[in-house]
Amino acid sequence: MILRIARKEMTEMVRDGRFRAAGAIVFTLLAGALLLGWQHYREVSAQHAAAQKATRDQWLRQGKKNPHSAAHYGVYAFKPKVPLTMVDRGTDPYTGVAVWLEAHKQNEFKYRPAQDATAVQRFGELTGATVLQLLVPLLIVLLTFNAFSGERELGTLRQLRSLGVSQTDLARGKALGVAGALGLLLVPAALIGVVALTAASGQTDMIASAPRMAWMTLSYLLYFAAFVGISLAVSASAPSSRSALIVLLGFWMFNGLIAPRAASDIAKAVRPAPSAFQFAQGIGKALQGDGHNSASARGKRLEAELLKKYNVDKVEALPITLTGARLQDGEEHGNQVFDAAYSDLWKTFGEQEGVHRAVSVFAPALAVRSTSMAFAGADFPQHAHFAQAAEEYRRMIQRVMNEDIMKNAGSTGVYMAGGDLWRKVPPFSYTAPDAGWVLARQSPSLAILALWCAAAGVAAMWASRRVQVY
Amino acid sequence: MLEANALAKSYNGTTALHPLNLSIEPGEIFCLLGANGAGKTTTINLFLNFIPPTAGTAKIGGLDVVQQPLESKRLLAYIPEQVMLYKNLTGIENLEYFTSLARGSHTKAELLGFLEEAGLARADADKRVAAYSKGMRQKVGIAIAIAKKARALLLDEPTSGLDPKASNEFSELLKKLSGQGAAILMATHDLFRAKETGTRVGIMKHGHLVAQYATSELGHADLERIYLEHMHD
Amino acid sequence: MLGTLMKYEWRNLSADRAPLAVALVLGAAIAYGAFNGSGWVRFQRGAISEALSEERERLHGLRTEIPAVESGSKTVSAFADPRLPQSLGRSMGTRYAVMPPAALGSLAIGQSDLYPYYFRVSTSSKETFINNDEIENPVHLLAGRFDLAFVFLYLYPLVILAFSYNIVSAEKESGTLALTLSQPVSLSRVVLAKILPRALFVLALSVLLSVVGVIIGGADLAAEGALWRLLLWAGVTAAYGAFWFALAIAVNALGRGSATNAMMLADAWLLLVIVIPSVLNVAVKAAYPVPSRVELIQAIRVAGDESTRQGSQLLARYLEDHPELAPPSSKPGGPPDFGTLQVAVNEATERKVQPVLAAFDAQLANQQRMVDRFRYLSPAIVAQAAFNDLAGSSAHRYQHFLTQVGAFHGQWREFFVPRILKKEKLSAADLDKLPAFTFREEATAAVTGRVAVAFAGLLIPLLLAGASALTALRRYPVAG
Repeated sequence: MILRIARKEMTEMVRDGRFRAAGAIVFTLLAGALLLGWQHYREVSAQHAAAQKATRDQWLRQGKKNPHSAAHYGVYAFKPKVPLTMVDRGTDPYTGVAVWLEAHKQNEFKYRPAQDATAVQRFGELTGATVLQLLVPLLIVLLTFNAFSGERELGTLRQLRSLGVSQTDLARGKALGVAGALGLLLVPAALIGVVALTAASGQTDMIASAPRMAWMTLSYLLYFAAFVGISLAVSASAPSSRSALIVLLGFWMFNGLIAPRAASDIAKAVRPAPSAFQFAQGIGKALQGDGHNSASARGKRLEAELLKKYNVDKVEALPITLTGARLQDGEEHGNQVFDAAYSDLWKTFGEQEGVHRAVSVFAPALAVRSTSMAFAGADFPQHAHFAQAAEEYRRMIQRVMNEDIMKNAGSTGVYMAGGDLWRKVPPFSYTAPDAGWVLARQSPSLAILALWCAAAGVAAMWASRRVQVY
Repeated sequence: MLEANALAKSYNGTTALHPLNLSIEPGEIFCLLGANGAGKTTTINLFLNFIPPTAGTAKIGGLDVVQQPLESKRLLAYIPEQVMLYKNLTGIENLEYFTSLARGSHTKAELLGFLEEAGLARADADKRVAAYSKGMRQKVGIAIAIAKKARALLLDEPTSGLDPKASNEFSELLKKLSGQGAAILMATHDLFRAKETGTRVGIMKHGHLVAQYATSELGHADLERIYLEHMHD
Repeated sequence: MLGTLMKYEWRNLSADRAPLAVALVLGAAIAYGAFNGSGWVRFQRGAISEALSEERERLHGLRTEIPAVESGSKTVSAFADPRLPQSLGRSMGTRYAVMPPAALGSLAIGQSDLYPYYFRVSTSSKETFINNDEIENPVHLLAGRFDLAFVFLYLYPLVILAFSYNIVSAEKESGTLALTLSQPVSLSRVVLAKILPRALFVLALSVLLSVVGVIIGGADLAAEGALWRLLLWAGVTAAYGAFWFALAIAVNALGRGSATNAMMLADAWLLLVIVIPSVLNVAVKAAYPVPSRVELIQAIRVAGDESTRQGSQLLARYLEDHPELAPPSSKPGGPPDFGTLQVAVNEATERKVQPVLAAFDAQLANQQRMVDRFRYLSPAIVAQAAFNDLAGSSAHRYQHFLTQVGAFHGQWREFFVPRILKKEKLSAADLDKLPAFTFREEATAAVTGRVAVAFAGLLIPLLLAGASALTALRRYPVAG
């Protein structure tokens, strides 16, 4: 029975000129977005890989210089691209692409790609994610807003009832019909996406991407199912097709365009982040320290410790070079300051994301945006993960350089090291977190999506039982 | 007053109205009879310039309705099958609105007078139109015709849905208006009214005006018999 | 007669309580948008004043520190000696170049949350201080802000369409149209009478509420050009709104039912406000891809390495080019100090990197030109550009700022570099001679010029829609 209804619904929809037009447009946009994303990924990925190699070469070929000069020269770390960003570029346009790893400073990432675009960029990027999150729900609304109200207005609802068709079966059949019609669009598009992904990444990358892809697909399916349920529920409850359409369009607008912006405003108001100036000032003051944490106080403490450690009573008798120890001590003090400041900042961002999640209870678009970005590898926590790894690499470089100074610099003259020391620093390698890591952080949003899907389903069933037959 | 000269209308190859020659003088009431889809409403719409003719001309008071749409409308009044008015306005407000469109400006007293002439009770004039029955709305339509001093009246199924008393009142009004010199074209199914009120009847079938008679020459039973004969086949 | 028509049209509208709903929705959205915009302006002003007061305190501190070092009561290392021009110019005495938000900045946040608005200028190369991005959760940058520009670009057309999608079709469906058109009045006049009260209501309400919102938010209307910009902004809003009204009439004039009209207008909104801008975005980036910043980093590093390697050679060449800057000949030979070398190295590096940076600017300019050419495809793109220009949140104003920063950077170096090369020491009195930055706002004429082009871009679709509406109305199928 349900299948029969579903088949009729699907046939009707596919023959409807409006579905054809709208469906064709959505499919073209989706396919185009995926292909563009593939091309962009290929280019940028190659650039970053080449640049990472080049910066390593530059490090190795520095020639003879003092290790501390080398530390100041530093290396760059370039954010690697994850293949799934073909579908969802997430926050990548708005986070910097490279960070300079130098002595004494934890730098910010530089060069946000969006700064190199025109104002049209702020209308939104045409990615697979925007088509899936904004346009497909609209298509769902257009296909199902008159599911019940239209049949009532035609008079066929009365006839179905007189044949003994149960309302909930009708609802399920219509839901399945819509799903089938959508599938005609989305399955080919998904295939294109998978082909593009395979072409872009190697075999190992594909294995790593597979679970992420699966979770991403699940979150989109939950989102679409929620929309189907909501549309059916509204169609069954609204007095006319026109009011159903208005309500659903209003919800679509609120969900897709208003709630994301309002969530940003609320998050900024409730959990404001410091300005760049305040942040830098805070770090600056903490680095200088005061009282017993000032540079001079720390220097004295360090001397006392070293004298005790090496059991000598004069600085000149130390078996290590004091400057090296001082530099490392300074670095470690700095590291503490940076850790405190950045963890505070990232905690604030995390709390802001918590506000977004709270708003997503009213607007599922926020939940699917979060999961889609996260599984694609383009959300802020994963950027912070990379930033953390880069910072640890930086600290390792400093440690290696400073320990070399401590051991080999001696007390006189200018100490120069060469390629042997540079090669002691391993090349920077980064492994992106796996799907499990992302899942742990995204399970609340996934749960919200599942709740929306379930609630929408319940609402649709309940409304269809109560639908006015004429 | 109302003149159709080889007036024809087709839609994509289907002919809704074959070339029609018709002339209605002031004081005449011409009743157009026929089945649904015979071309009665098409004829009226052509006179109203709601649809453009495929061939021929329609004239009101000598003015071609296509060439001089606004001037020709000044002379006529139209009462559709369902006189739809603005439901949030009262009867008298609707009247004022439509007469102002017709370039008339009347005092409230004058407007009340028109409504009274059309048979609408004084108390009803100030009620919102949403509460009006079909007959009451029709009277407002007539009041507009009276206010416009229309020389030609086009009526589409005016008595459908009216009870016998309202139907009778309506016939009296029509006779009064035609007595004052208006030319009236009325499309109707109501054979009884057509014989009672009309001066001439015409029978339309598949877009042709197949017969015309003066009602004085016919009895009621004759009219029905002739009608059914034409409708056969 | 038009007056009577309009009067009755308004009566009918009010009975449906539609104007009330419109007023509430628009009013709430405008109030919220104005609130957010003002909040951002306040934030920017706060950050700027903090920076400037930090600078004041620091310079004030130097006034006492320099005499202390001179007299010997305070000892400092060579890198932290405030009397040395290289220390003062590079870090201790650096000053801020700030671009305060424009008078009407609360109207549109635009691009201003993406580009830095203050820099700490030093003698080092521009690349070292020019990436002063503001801290913002990238998710917020992605989502965009709920400012007045958002309300007017996205929501205002929807309100207009909801208010007028069935302006003719409703009358036809309810049957009153037949009676109306049997009177000697043309359909165009009737439609005009119906649209004018709606248009006047929406436009007046929007402009009034926004002006109130902007004033309450603390905009400085007394600033130069502020009132003129406000007037222009009202004009752009009116033209943009008029376009959507005209589009609603044009779609109605096709004679379809109310539901079909609603669908078609919703599609038009989607196309013009969402699809075309994002497609143009990718087209522009595909046609004129900006060179990779990653490669820029590489170019700068390579150029810097080369220059450092050439070190003293460069210095010699530099002094040959600028003999007036050579140190007094009493100190010939000897290795040049770090500060002196830096000057020459910087200059050489920047010269090498110049073509790479120029390529960037050229591609960005190409992108902007292409956007400018194709923006006429959507009134939303045109309106967005106009709003950004009037609020001072556009990339144009940012470029204007960058040019001034570049000039100030030059001035700053001109002050310090000769003193570095001559190995002069500075005194507290010299602190008063330090160059200071004042931002010169864009000439109102320049902004007006750009907005005038935007007007053309709005008037053309408006006239097209209006003309097609009038032609279609003449052939409106009153029956059938």
